[in-house]
Amino acid sequence: MAYELLGKGAESLIYIGEIFGQKIVIKQRVSKPYRNEIFDKEFRRVRTRTEAKVLIDLFLNGVNVPTPLFVDLKNYVIVMEYINGKKLIDVIEELNQEKIMIYAEELGRQVGKMHSLDIYHGDLTLGNILVTKNEKLYVIDFGLAGYSRDIEEYAIDLHLLRRNILAVIPDLYDTFFTNFLKGYRSSYSKDYNAVIKRFEEIRLRGRYVEERLKKRIWREKYIE
Amino acid sequence: MYILGIESTSHTFGVGIVESIGDEIKVIANIYDRYKPVQGGIHPREAALHHSRVAPNVLKEALRQTGLKFKDITAFAVALGPGLGPCLRVGASIARFLASYYNKPLIPVNHAVAHIEIGKFYNGFKDPVILYVSGGNTLVAIQKKGRYRVFGETLDIPLGNLLDTFVREVGLAPPYIVDNKHIIDVCAEWGEEYVSLPYTVKGSDLSFSGLLTAALSLARKINGKKELGNICLSLREIAFNMLVEVTERALILTGKKEVLLVGGVASNKVLKEKMMIMSRTHNARYGDTPPEYAGDNGAMIAYTGLLLYKHNIVIEPEKAFVRQRWRLDEVDLPWLMNY
Repeated sequence: MAYELLGKGAESLIYIGEIFGQKIVIKQRVSKPYRNEIFDKEFRRVRTRTEAKVLIDLFLNGVNVPTPLFVDLKNYVIVMEYINGKKLIDVIEELNQEKIMIYAEELGRQVGKMHSLDIYHGDLTLGNILVTKNEKLYVIDFGLAGYSRDIEEYAIDLHLLRRNILAVIPDLYDTFFTNFLKGYRSSYSKDYNAVIKRFEEIRLRGRYVEERLKKRIWREKYIE
Repeated sequence: MYILGIESTSHTFGVGIVESIGDEIKVIANIYDRYKPVQGGIHPREAALHHSRVAPNVLKEALRQTGLKFKDITAFAVALGPGLGPCLRVGASIARFLASYYNKPLIPVNHAVAHIEIGKFYNGFKDPVILYVSGGNTLVAIQKKGRYRVFGETLDIPLGNLLDTFVREVGLAPPYIVDNKHIIDVCAEWGEEYVSLPYTVKGSDLSFSGLLTAALSLARKINGKKELGNICLSLREIAFNMLVEVTERALILTGKKEVLLVGGVASNKVLKEKMMIMSRTHNARYGDTPPEYAGDNGAMIAYTGLLLYKHNIVIEPEKAFVRQRWRLDEVDLPWLMNY
């Protein structure tokens, strides 16, 4: 089996290969020279195992993710289907308003489905969304994903996406997020308002948020 | 052109002076005096008292060293936030007075922006991925469309707070710094083995509160110097790994070619080394700031003041209020417009 290096992720090497005429992606978690060795191994094993499990669950439940094919925990490897698409982060600035709205809403629907399955992504950014030629949208890279029923994790996913959009395409934030939430609301099967409330709380939790200070001053006035 | 900058956001009262002739910019004075708590952490009122006590001497020393007089200064710059209210007010009052009395422009400087700008200046960086770690801040930033945009940050406590709180609670501090070394590093040298502690990275954000709680509860169960050393060693390893990972994520996602480490904790050798190794694996240039510019200082305020002044950003003294929670990503910076 011949394969070539497609890219370097934050913690893994991504190879592209072919099997039975089908293009595949091989993701191997690599050792990090800045990490202590004992930590490094345990870390890679646990993350690979969780990622594989999440990927399988999402695939079986109809979320748009690459089809998982093979897992090798000894070598920290996951093999999956190759999606021929572009990262949303690379194309978003060339898209027109209407397209952005459509993609945002579709992404919202996918993420809503994922959260309904008690799965959080953990690194929901525009770099982890692929769009294909026929305009299908895939969520990829579940390296930081996990299982939880805590709405905190879902709200953090939304928070990460919001912050990524504000960092990368600040002007398109409103358009994108309004439509994202529209899609999310339509497919999230649990309490939507609870997630949104927590989502807002997380922003205010950030360091040096002015509104938080104002709130406190109000409260103090009230108590006096 | 001479800009005098005043820093008083937290434990440091500092005065810096930069000289700008033609294209050349030079820091010609950087004097500071740090407040050191006798027990516990920084008490804002005590720190403010310290600042008002040392201010006249620090100012005089900066002038003496450069041979300048107040009337030679082109404009006064001051850090108006973010920081501790009582401390900020000391610097702001002095700056407002100097600007009004000598009838010179007053320049409002954001403390976090200043940390980054002095780091870029020192390393000659144009467009880095920035990891800013200090007692009050832990964030990864990039420059985009006229501002520093926060790429990731701590969802709860900052790094300096994690390290300080841990060593204080186990009875090793204050003092937090001995011979330019944080007590956590001294304690880590006693350890040999790694223990398991929680590692929390959420995309490009991170969280230290779980790590602190776990480390403290573990510390209560053990006795002996070596076992405590093991916890210090592991706490530091995990906290730093988390920081390097989020910086690495930002570096890969943005494809930038420079990595800049700034802020008070940026003088930590172990963190520097990890960041350096990570940058090297991505063929990115790595840079940090020497201790006199890494910790809070007046030179960075003066230098950033100069940049702002050249873009005509000044403030009326009567409008120069302190802003305790003036976020990095709220500041419009004309020189970042083209990124």
